[in-house]
Amino acid sequence: MLIIDCPYCGPRDQSEFSNGGEAHVKRPDGSADIGDREWGEYVFIRANPKGIFYERWVHSHGCRKWFNCVRDTSTDEILKIYKIDEERPKLDSFKNNVKTPSGEPNLGSGNFTVKK
Amino acid sequence: MSELNLTDNKFIQFHQKIGFKFDGVKYYGYKGDTIASALIRNNIKLIGRSFKYHRPRGFYTCGIEEPNALVQIISEFSEPNTRATIKKIYEGMEIESQNRWPSLETDIGGINNIFSPVFPAGFYYKTFMGPHKNFWKKIYEPIIRKAAGLGKPPKEFKAVSTHVNHNVDVTIVGGGLNGLIAAKSLIDTKFSVLLIDFDDQLGGILNNSNKVQSVNNQTPMDWISETVKDIENSKNIKILRNTLVTTYNYINHLIAVEDKFVGSRPLKDKVNSTLHKIRTDQVILSNGHIERFLSFQNNDLPGIMLCSSFEKYMCRYGVMPSKETVIFSNNSNSESLVFSLIKKGFKPKAYIDSRSGENIEPDLFDLIRKNDIPLYTNSQIKGAFGSKKLQKILVEDSSGRFNEIKTDFLCLSGGINPDVHLFTQSKGLLDWDEKDLTYKPAQAFQPTITLGSASGQFDFNSINKEINEKFDIFGIKPVQIDLELNTSHKFKIEKLWEVLPQKQTIWSKSFIDLQNDVTTKDIRQAISEGFDRIEHLKRYTTNSMGTDQGKISSINALGIVSDLLDKKVNEVGTTIYRPPYAPLSFAAIAGRNSYEYYDPERKSPIHNWHISNGAVFEDVGQWKRPWYFPINKYETMDDAVQRESKNVRENAGVLDGSTLGKIEIKGKDALAFMNLIYTNSFSKMKPGSSRYALMLGEDGMVKDDGIICKISDEHFIATTTTGGAATVLECMEEYAQTEWTNLNVYMNSITEQYATFNISGPKTRNIIEKVFPEVNFSNEAFPFMTFQFHEYEDTPIRILRASFTGEMGYEIYVPSNQAIKIWEKIINFGKEFGLKPYGTETMHLLRAEKGYIIVGQDTDGSVTPLDLGLDWMIGKSKKDFLGKRSLIRSDTVRKDRKQLVGILPINKNDKLEEGQHIILDKEIKTPMPMLGHITSCYQSPTLGHNFALAVIKNGQSLIGTKAFASTPELKTIEVEIVEPIFYDKKNTKLAS
Repeated sequence: MLIIDCPYCGPRDQSEFSNGGEAHVKRPDGSADIGDREWGEYVFIRANPKGIFYERWVHSHGCRKWFNCVRDTSTDEILKIYKIDEERPKLDSFKNNVKTPSGEPNLGSGNFTVKK
Repeated sequence: MSELNLTDNKFIQFHQKIGFKFDGVKYYGYKGDTIASALIRNNIKLIGRSFKYHRPRGFYTCGIEEPNALVQIISEFSEPNTRATIKKIYEGMEIESQNRWPSLETDIGGINNIFSPVFPAGFYYKTFMGPHKNFWKKIYEPIIRKAAGLGKPPKEFKAVSTHVNHNVDVTIVGGGLNGLIAAKSLIDTKFSVLLIDFDDQLGGILNNSNKVQSVNNQTPMDWISETVKDIENSKNIKILRNTLVTTYNYINHLIAVEDKFVGSRPLKDKVNSTLHKIRTDQVILSNGHIERFLSFQNNDLPGIMLCSSFEKYMCRYGVMPSKETVIFSNNSNSESLVFSLIKKGFKPKAYIDSRSGENIEPDLFDLIRKNDIPLYTNSQIKGAFGSKKLQKILVEDSSGRFNEIKTDFLCLSGGINPDVHLFTQSKGLLDWDEKDLTYKPAQAFQPTITLGSASGQFDFNSINKEINEKFDIFGIKPVQIDLELNTSHKFKIEKLWEVLPQKQTIWSKSFIDLQNDVTTKDIRQAISEGFDRIEHLKRYTTNSMGTDQGKISSINALGIVSDLLDKKVNEVGTTIYRPPYAPLSFAAIAGRNSYEYYDPERKSPIHNWHISNGAVFEDVGQWKRPWYFPINKYETMDDAVQRESKNVRENAGVLDGSTLGKIEIKGKDALAFMNLIYTNSFSKMKPGSSRYALMLGEDGMVKDDGIICKISDEHFIATTTTGGAATVLECMEEYAQTEWTNLNVYMNSITEQYATFNISGPKTRNIIEKVFPEVNFSNEAFPFMTFQFHEYEDTPIRILRASFTGEMGYEIYVPSNQAIKIWEKIINFGKEFGLKPYGTETMHLLRAEKGYIIVGQDTDGSVTPLDLGLDWMIGKSKKDFLGKRSLIRSDTVRKDRKQLVGILPINKNDKLEEGQHIILDKEIKTPMPMLGHITSCYQSPTLGHNFALAVIKNGQSLIGTKAFASTPELKTIEVEIVEPIFYDKKNTKLAS
């Protein structure tokens, strides 16, 4: 269970929140000028990286506010939380734990228990 | 008699005799005894039968690591698989042994032991595969389930448990020597501390062995009581006893379960166990170590026990499992047992060590020599023999000679492992220590400190150094503890995993997992069949997959595997230790969220009226809705629904629609927002009018529907389906906050604030005019799809002219606290016109006759408004709304999409059913092309026969053609595909 620092309420248990998937996905307007591919990617395609991920959360059992979050999905470490209207932090401001060729971090992935 | 002395101590109250029953026979123990210690007091050695081979088993350990001694507690809702080695007895306790029939002494299933050569690893996977796929489910599985396994599940169970949350700075897991030192050093510091121990007595190894002679020049017992008193008197440290930490999650989140009734019968309706959820900045793991066993032939016989467990029975419980035991060891952990035995005036029958004389601790060597104990160095036990209990052992000595020793007891030590379960659960990494032959914590992933033997620090003289180094982060005074030991301070071990038998036969067994009956032969076989990765091997052989998770044996298995594969143990790796550390009951996890509190029940404000008027209820999400109102207990639902729906068509009916979701939307940009959320356009709507509206997902599929009332451009009230209320509000909030942040709009749920009553039927106007005489209900003053606000006896109400039945009707919105008053008025004034309440089933029938869809029944997340023939609801001139662009996706404009149609049986006596497939051929042969299926189906009292709604491929163009509905018996029913409307096609009734 994560502890998530809601920008409006402060740190709370993960059970109070719902995850909203990838953040900063731009919604094209609904007009017919938008191509099938562009619209299809907006509706159906989301990134699912191992490592640094920009994602949305909502404090659904709290203030019901949406906010953005940068999380390392390989270690579950929350690196930054910021409000919806705040600027997206730059990727290179975070240390990426993913080092090995297969993308497995040394620690915390759950796939290893023994030091190699 | 196997008792030592009978003077009371803090562990056992010898003056307090306790009677309990084991397999129907009454025995006596003392207050403080576990089931195991009390049975050993009564010279009981046989406690259960094994999982697969039904072999006789005894007490192997004295703690939570016990693989064999699992019992069923009859007096506690027949709780199965309880460890006899930790469960304390109380007066009147009833215990039964497990997995035996007809009795523990004579067990028919023991025949499995004779047939064991045909039950190798993977036996079930390989054998029970044919001749027909049903054989497994119908024949093999029931037989195997009866024969194998442990305890029986309890029949009734009503345990009470509760959850408690903690937020502390430091949590110390384990209150042994290191845990107490750690806690003591944190007394009266700025840190809030939780000290958790599984035992009811803190002290760990100080209580359970004679390893330590004195601590800070005090006896261990005096030091413990003084330290515990200091901790208890401190303001910042809380002790949780009888509490087992089972889980170590991310962000230092620990789960621990506390037994509230230790040594007494759990009281009914009192909290039996508490689940502690702990958040902490720093975790200190000082949860000690576990001794492991050794594999040799018949190493499972009753009468074989681990060395440290024997010592614990002596020191802690004052009971001698045997006066003449043989000891077999490969490490220095057996030294303190020899010391304890001699101190109490007993002598081991023989001491066998696989190490050579010069590697044995000098003190131990002297002790053995001085006391004339037969010593076998460089020797190994080749096998143990006996019927239902140990009778003799076979020892191969250093010269290679075989010696038979008659004995009824044997103590084993195969080394010690730090208890790394919690550490690995926290995602810390382990490293193999080639000197101490065990995995030790190497690198923590979270803020975790390991102390003492839990960290792999087996040297008593290093305690001060270790704790002062690791506690540097707390900035507290250094610790200084002076220990005097009875045994050597260092741990030494020589590699030994398995002793091969003198003669290998197909029946010889050296166990590697006692609980799951896995032998070393199974390990060899698995490797020879290619299961040489440790995770595969574990699952194929079921090694360490019992409830004890191989606590005394899993490292031995790794050792054997690494030798067989000629790899380093680190290369073999270890299986992942997953929570929980030991089984915990579902009752503890559920806490208060059980039975009627499992899920909240939502009730309409006039729920009690429904009850007193005999309603039968239906669950709609969390809501309890009246399903139908039978006139007496003999009326079936079908009859009631026919009667209720006929009454609505002929007179009038009233439905409690309070569960409908209601959302109020306000703000300067409310109109623009509603235009974006729903498919319809609300721009040209006059204030005071309402509109049936659809909400789509971004994929263009129908997500919800409802009626939107426009009070002004800045104020709307939307209704949603009962089940969709929460998701619609969530969706509105999401788009308002994340997508259209420029819009000034607010929304709130008002579902619970208002009750909704739907009156409909030809006599509606007569009734409602009587209830609200001051309102003009004429067609001109109150046209279809408009609404008005009124005051009724100081109650503000909103009346909406709308219908979900096809009859003319009104919906009345009343504040919940006034709801019953209005409802009873409607019922009373309606009596003379034949008004009757009706339930959800009648509502479904009536709306289907009219061809109104129910989102989620006639749609399934793959249906667009066009598929439903609802093109007219799409605001074509709008530039954007949710899902608009998806309505011209290649998939949504396909010609052969499934579309909503009506279905009528050709033969009017035929009955259709929901879920039936619609096909074009009369004969069913596979593969059968299927057009679609029936989504709603009812018997109509108005039409006098069955009718249905269905979604079928290209349905709109098939209207007027014949087709067939298939039945599960592979028969077909001839049907006609028709327009999806069966009643009042011209809508004359709605506007009448």
